[in-house]
Amino acid sequence: MDTLASLLHTSPALAWMVVKIVIVFSAVMLLASVWTWVERRGSAMIQDRIGPNRAALFGRIRIIGLAQLLADGIKFFFKEDLEPTDVNRGLFWLAPFLAFVPAMLGFAVIPFGRDFVSGGTIYHLSVLDPGNGMGMLYPMAIGGLAVYGVLVAAWSSNNKWSILGGMRASAAMVSYEIGMSLAVVSIFMTTGGYDPAEIISAQGSLPWHWNVVPQFLGFIVFFTCMFAETNRLPFDFAEGESEIVAGFNTEYGSMKFSLLALAEYAHLMTASALVVTLFFGGWQVPFVAHPSVGLSILSFVVKLLFFAWVFVWIRWTLPRFRYDQMMRLGWKAMLPMSMVNLVVHAWLMSHGR
Amino acid sequence: MGVVVKKVELSWLDRTYVWPVLKGMGITFKHFIKQLFTPTSKRYTIQYPDMKKVMPAGYRGLHELKRFEDGAIKCVACFMCAEACPARCISIEAEEFSDLNITQGFEEKRPQVFKIDMLRCIYCGMCEEACPKDAIWLRNDYEVAAYDRLSMQFGKWDLMNTYAEADGKARITEDPMPSAPRRVLAM
Ligand code: SF4
Ligand code: SF4
Repeated sequence: MDTLASLLHTSPALAWMVVKIVIVFSAVMLLASVWTWVERRGSAMIQDRIGPNRAALFGRIRIIGLAQLLADGIKFFFKEDLEPTDVNRGLFWLAPFLAFVPAMLGFAVIPFGRDFVSGGTIYHLSVLDPGNGMGMLYPMAIGGLAVYGVLVAAWSSNNKWSILGGMRASAAMVSYEIGMSLAVVSIFMTTGGYDPAEIISAQGSLPWHWNVVPQFLGFIVFFTCMFAETNRLPFDFAEGESEIVAGFNTEYGSMKFSLLALAEYAHLMTASALVVTLFFGGWQVPFVAHPSVGLSILSFVVKLLFFAWVFVWIRWTLPRFRYDQMMRLGWKAMLPMSMVNLVVHAWLMSHGR
Repeated sequence: MGVVVKKVELSWLDRTYVWPVLKGMGITFKHFIKQLFTPTSKRYTIQYPDMKKVMPAGYRGLHELKRFEDGAIKCVACFMCAEACPARCISIEAEEFSDLNITQGFEEKRPQVFKIDMLRCIYCGMCEEACPKDAIWLRNDYEVAAYDRLSMQFGKWDLMNTYAEADGKARITEDPMPSAPRRVLAM
């Protein structure tokens, strides 16, 4: 790291920061785009179909359809960037970025491996070092921003379907945020801190000490709310082919659409990273008390991919909710459940457990 | 008379919603695994240009005009098929030919032009039903497509050779016997 820094005439801290940012964000971008393919292949397999498998590099190397990503990218890139006449131009351009950036930013505090010491300096494997004072509040806040992407896209399109979709999605996001936050609060309480590094180290390496076991209710609430937050089925109220066409992205095409679509998958990655960090011990390797750095990263990535797959899996298992059903679930089931979870854990803690 | 709506009573386990979701996920995962480990050739999807569907017997596809061993067309230009055709897409022009030694002085008929407009044909098989000589068959070729309308007008020789390759027969482009000049009745 020091040699790299001296080559670039910067301080080692800055070089390390840049390296981390590049690695984390390119990995999330890559995973997000790969997940568009996983989603399609996975759904196809679940429905006894085959899915995209014909795109090939140079018309020959098929690599089980992974070239579809490139094909899609090229296609989106060269499509005409159509802009309907009555849109609010500035917001119309801004919306994809508003959707995409928060989805990526949430990843910044997640530790994706254990810290290591090299040359007397401690290197933390998360973009923002622990002890930055924001901790887990930061992804929650950023996640709250994601609603702007959807809402601005919907509003600026000047399309009734888009607005309906945007309204529903923002209502869903806002109402599920409360239950989610309460579920997280009870984790903060039992951990005694809200820094992701603390939360992870408090969970230890034994799977039955991970937060998912004592706080199973909290996990259910949090995970369900994540579906509403990422706007994915069964709660995809921003879209809805059967009622409001494509919802908030009806008017979008070419790269702008692809950015909106990628934002959904980036959001999915961030959401599963949050689930892993909060409930499944982050980078902790089961039964290995002091894993090596590589092993801890591997463990984190495996868990991350598993939960990202669960998002896809559930999407193709459950039918959509109706709007009122979803609202009822959010306010009358998720919120009380997370409150009960909070109160029970507070009571347990006050009795010295 | 009212209809009694039977309400399904869910057990408490089903009402938690979590358990049924897990059950559903089990089902989808079973399908996923099953499909993942099924070789491509055994999947439900037929990957069309690489794999072709084997058509069942009795499928009505592209027509074939049957021929005798010597290559003579079986059709006797009786116009039954053209009459029966609901799409009116068969047009026939007859001609006479004969080996008068065999036919004892009578003229024999065969189509000089036998045209089917494949764009209008509805593949109903009525021509096959109507033919008294079993000369026209609908077989199993379903890839009837072309780049322009004219190539979809199948003529006599196209129709006689449609299945030549599949059946291992030679392609023929002319009748074994020349047509007889039309005789003018001398009055
Ligand atoms: S299949 Fe039917 S429509 Fe086609 S030529 Fe025969 S009778 Fe006509
Ligand atoms: S194909 Fe059959 S029905 Fe049609 S003209 Fe020839 S002999 Fe008659």
